[in-house]
Amino acid sequence: MNRILLIEDDAETAEAIVAELADRGFEVQWAGDGVEGLDRARASSPDAMIVDRMLPGMDGLTVIEALRKDQVRTPVLVLSALGAVDDRVRGLRMGGDDYLTKPFALVELVARIEALLRRPIDSRETILHVGPLQLDLIERTARRGERELDLLPREFRLLEYMMRRNDQLLTRAMLLEEVWNYKFVPATSNLIDVHMGRLRHKVDGPGEAQLIHNVRGSGFVLRLRQ
Amino acid sequence: MHQIQLIRSSTFLWALAVAAVFALFVVALFAFIYWKLDDYLVARSDRMITTQIRFIADLPPARRISAIADHLAQDSRGVQYAGLFDAAGARLAGNIDRVPRELRLDGAVQGVRLDLLEQPAVHVPVVRAVGRRLDDGDVLVLGRNVDETREISSVVGEALALGLLPAFGLCLLAGVWLSVRAQRRVEEVNHRVQRIVAGELRERLPEGNTDDSFARLAGIVNGMLDEMETMINALAGVGNDIAHDLRTPLTRVRLALERGRTHAATLEELQDITDKAIVGIDQSLAIVTALLRLTEIENNRRMAGFGDVALDEILREVCDVYEPIAEDKRIGLGVVIDRNVQVWGDRDLLFEAVANLVDNAIKFTPSGGGVELALEAGDDTALVRVSDTGPGISEREREAVLRRFYRSDKMRNTPGVGLGLSLVAAIVKLHGFRLIIGPAPGGRIEILAWTGRAGKPITRRPRTLIHADASQMG
Repeated sequence: MNRILLIEDDAETAEAIVAELADRGFEVQWAGDGVEGLDRARASSPDAMIVDRMLPGMDGLTVIEALRKDQVRTPVLVLSALGAVDDRVRGLRMGGDDYLTKPFALVELVARIEALLRRPIDSRETILHVGPLQLDLIERTARRGERELDLLPREFRLLEYMMRRNDQLLTRAMLLEEVWNYKFVPATSNLIDVHMGRLRHKVDGPGEAQLIHNVRGSGFVLRLRQ
Repeated sequence: MHQIQLIRSSTFLWALAVAAVFALFVVALFAFIYWKLDDYLVARSDRMITTQIRFIADLPPARRISAIADHLAQDSRGVQYAGLFDAAGARLAGNIDRVPRELRLDGAVQGVRLDLLEQPAVHVPVVRAVGRRLDDGDVLVLGRNVDETREISSVVGEALALGLLPAFGLCLLAGVWLSVRAQRRVEEVNHRVQRIVAGELRERLPEGNTDDSFARLAGIVNGMLDEMETMINALAGVGNDIAHDLRTPLTRVRLALERGRTHAATLEELQDITDKAIVGIDQSLAIVTALLRLTEIENNRRMAGFGDVALDEILREVCDVYEPIAEDKRIGLGVVIDRNVQVWGDRDLLFEAVANLVDNAIKFTPSGGGVELALEAGDDTALVRVSDTGPGISEREREAVLRRFYRSDKMRNTPGVGLGLSLVAAIVKLHGFRLIIGPAPGGRIEILAWTGRAGKPITRRPRTLIHADASQMG
């Protein structure tokens, strides 16, 4: 069971997050301010942390900085009401691993925490395998079983990203940030869906088991068996 | 208090300084005149006594005494001195008591002190004198009082007093008048500025009819105030727009929740209602997010993210992203690139701007139409054009589309927050580029960029061109 430390000063927000994470099988500790949060982080060494940026007593970024100085490598998701790009960059530079702007969907928060807990470790691999899928990063070729997949460069990148995180829920926002490198929310809200539809059409041929699944209202997942 | 202010005012101090310099100059001028005049008078009297001594010396000895007497008798002002002495130094004739010791008897004029028979009461005059030993051993001395220069100096002094003092006074008066005038105008400006600060945005500074620096400054400030008034009025309108736009989705949410609470019989129904509510809230949040983003860009004066940006790459990438969406709508999407062009800017923001334009173009173009992205390079400009076969933006709407939240009536039901073009305008403005909206029919929006760092935004006043003429439309 993964242990999560939540440092958040708003009790109601914290309550909702704790309940949601507990439902998902996490063990959650809650600290109401920066000083307490830092103490708990040092005492209990959690598997991942969710840190609000604006905290009474000690700023969220200062907490992260202090931990990083102690060589604590625990992945941290920064929560902030400030959505500005500069601010986000600063949050990540100070040692945060991911950044989520308030208000957010709980699904998004959970997806990002799971992504942080299961970061792809071996990135030196040059051929990725997920079930019948095989992606050659050097030859830039993709196949499903014997069938060669004819992918456009962006589709290739999307599939690579998904294969590195198979069985994980990938939200639209995560894909936009990581695959499309978008720093903003596009006006056309189904942008990702259209691209994903293309990819799915190529990956999941007629009569083949579905690998790319649409999770209603949340995002997508690459999974072997339903 | 008022007087101290007046004396301290720089106009007055300047007037005072000018008056002082003027006075100094006049005094120097008078001194020079006096010195020159004095010189001239001394030289003239020197010549006179030299001529006289020669004349008397040339007379036979017997006639000299009477000549001296005549000479002195003719001098009514008593400025002439003469004396004839024998070889032993005893006086024979004239009004000089004895031969001055320091006088050289060589016929050269020099300034000496003479001992006179009747010493004047006030002072012993300084005199120009000449002495000569005659053939018979007698000594002849002639002198002339040059104290006249003293009179001249008093005349000069009077002239100074008569001329300079009024001039100086006039200068001071002019200084006082100018500084009082300046202060009055500052007071007037201050008064009006206070009114502007108090919220009277229509107030303007007095420009007057004269073309002095004050009037010009007032003109400049008034121009600035015009601009600000427009901006503030535009901002005031935004508040209403936001409230209105947020109201629509929030009303839907409220109705859905209210109905769901009373009518939902099963869990599925309740979930359905909740989903609807979440969609509505997400729409409201999207508006807030877009608005914050717009404010962020508009307020961002820092150019930290600026660098060389290849416009051709951005165009290709945007096309790449939007191609599937265009295809789904059966719209042809093409890129035409003249040649590769780099501009100085923020890559992410420029991408966002072009993506927004293409997004809009695809949204408003009916099925079967086409959207074209073009990059044209000039000498020191680059033109990004997004054109489509859609309805375009009518003359009436051109200005309105740049306003936040504007959505044309026929597009009321098209999804989108309605901030797209405002965002593009803000990004273009930040870069100091130009946004050109072409005439309908057919959508046509262009970004005119300056290539190279010469096109820094501070040097150029960013402007959105609403009614572009034919030449600029290319």
